[in-house]
Amino acid sequence: MRASGVNDLKKRPWSPRKALILDVSFIAAIVVAISGCATYSGSFGDIEAYLIQDQPQQALAELEQRRRFSRDEVLYLLNRAMLLRMDGAYGDSNEALEGAKKLIEKREAFSITEQTTSLVVNEALRSFIGEDFERALIHLYAALNYLQLGQPFEARVEALQVDVLLRRLEDKNSKNPRVYTEDALCRYISAMIFEELGEWSDAMIAYRKAYEAYTKYAKSYGTGIPIFLHADLLRLSSRQGLREEFKRYEQEFPETVWLSVEELQNVGELVFILHGGLAPIKRSHETRVIDPGSGRLISIALPSYEVRPNPIARVRVTVAGRSENAVVVEDVSAIARQTLEVAMPAITARAIGRTVIKDQLARRAAKENGALSGFIVNLAGALTEVADTRSWVTLPSNIYMARIPLQPGDYTVRVDVIDVRGHRLKQFEFENVNINRRQKTYVEKHWLSPAV
Amino acid sequence: MTSYRTSFIFLIPLLVASGLSGCGTTVERLEVDEVRDLSGEWNDTDSRLVSEEMIDDVLSRAWLRESRASRGQRPAVIVGEVRNLSHEHINTNTFVADMERALINSGEVEFVASSVERQEIREERADQELHAREDTRKEMGQELGADFMLKGTINTIVDQSGKQAIKYYQVDLTLISLADNRKVWVGQKKVKKLVKRGALRL
Repeated sequence: MRASGVNDLKKRPWSPRKALILDVSFIAAIVVAISGCATYSGSFGDIEAYLIQDQPQQALAELEQRRRFSRDEVLYLLNRAMLLRMDGAYGDSNEALEGAKKLIEKREAFSITEQTTSLVVNEALRSFIGEDFERALIHLYAALNYLQLGQPFEARVEALQVDVLLRRLEDKNSKNPRVYTEDALCRYISAMIFEELGEWSDAMIAYRKAYEAYTKYAKSYGTGIPIFLHADLLRLSSRQGLREEFKRYEQEFPETVWLSVEELQNVGELVFILHGGLAPIKRSHETRVIDPGSGRLISIALPSYEVRPNPIARVRVTVAGRSENAVVVEDVSAIARQTLEVAMPAITARAIGRTVIKDQLARRAAKENGALSGFIVNLAGALTEVADTRSWVTLPSNIYMARIPLQPGDYTVRVDVIDVRGHRLKQFEFENVNINRRQKTYVEKHWLSPAV
Repeated sequence: MTSYRTSFIFLIPLLVASGLSGCGTTVERLEVDEVRDLSGEWNDTDSRLVSEEMIDDVLSRAWLRESRASRGQRPAVIVGEVRNLSHEHINTNTFVADMERALINSGEVEFVASSVERQEIREERADQELHAREDTRKEMGQELGADFMLKGTINTIVDQSGKQAIKYYQVDLTLISLADNRKVWVGQKKVKKLVKRGALRL
């Protein structure tokens, strides 16, 4: 530490001791401020444990008890919405999703203070507004909630809203083919909603978009085109008199057995959806090294996804003596992983930039106030360096769907969840499932394997 | 000295971001006809403007005079469904209720209770059969059948680019004769808004 004379003391209003106290308080303030985000993904274990035990109410109670910051409010609302729908509280779930949508819209604006903070402290201090795919899935779950509530016109609102969002993403990101700009399942559910409401033209367009998106999904995420989409395209293109398109689909899907619009209207339909497992969770990987030249601690933290194993290999739905396999219609894990991969160069560049800024601050502190001050600022910078590990962790890993046309009546639906070795992991039975003519009956289940 | 300054530069946004700038809830009472757009979505002003325009229109058209002339009495109207086909979760009940009130109060038409309301009243009448005194009991089968049904839709077109969006709402209401499915009146009101989303916040 530099020796200071009387003149120096006059020039400097704070003594080295006061400076030390200030630096210590500075560290304390930062540590207090970031203590929540530093362990966000790590502290989710209790909620997960309740979900494995199929106890969404307890999971929700646990979520409500957790201390949360204003910047994580969207995340809280999304997790709350998911836990509520797991518990069958679809109306309350939609209230939370609407709250999240409104908040995201407000927080999308560029925040000067948050950007400055994330530039010099860490990115977890920014308001969470979700990745693009998470924002599209808000509409998907809201639509499914409305369908469960028997409000198809409100579900239709979500179909229109997701279309606006996806068009915006397409405009924004059209250059990089690896960037998520289209959601096949959102398009597919939209098409089903339009079709049920007799809006054939909109249904045809949405099925077509779903087909295009699933073609892209096959390459990007390894998700195949659901077999029932073939039948939908044939049915709707035939209904709309789109002869050329119909012929093309006939050639593409020669073995598809399909019902015409009239035939389908004479029966009802069971739509079974399994939300299996949990989406991958982000972890912070910190690298800390001591610069041999300066002796300063250099810290860099980057996020990576920890995949939560999903042992489901097959989902078999049995109803009225007939068995159908539910197929993967959305691989949320694959979408999440690719989204992070695409974002990693920018995240890394920002992390490096932040390290340089923190090092500069420590260097100046050391130069102007002595080695101890420099050490404290350096330590504060290293301790605050954590990756942003926030993500909508209650999303499923995969979404499976089966569509089975049935004569009107009450049915018992049995679902077998099977692993790769052909062993049954779980069996569900849904009794008194009411199928009405011209209507789709949606039966959903969220299920986590204890192996997660 | 500079390092404390840099420390504080470091600290200020952090404290703001930590929510220390939060304020308590404030409430300001507004006149119901005061126009105050917050989110750019369908709001009370849109609902009021639509109902006012529709009421003026429906009461000034030929169907009313013709109906009174042919039947010799005020026509009975019932409100059917106003379908929300828009991009927003719109509560159509407010302007339907506004229209209903204005039409009843105009004295030009009779209004029949909606199907949900009728069901409740029928249950009450059935209850009276068992429990009410005979001289106060209301008989079944004496309901007033409606002559016309009011139905409608709200549609939207959203055009957006970057932080700007043009929202175009079209409300269509139709009065249909229950006797022969004739559309006797069609009302239309359009609302167009330019919504600019904030690019910056604190």
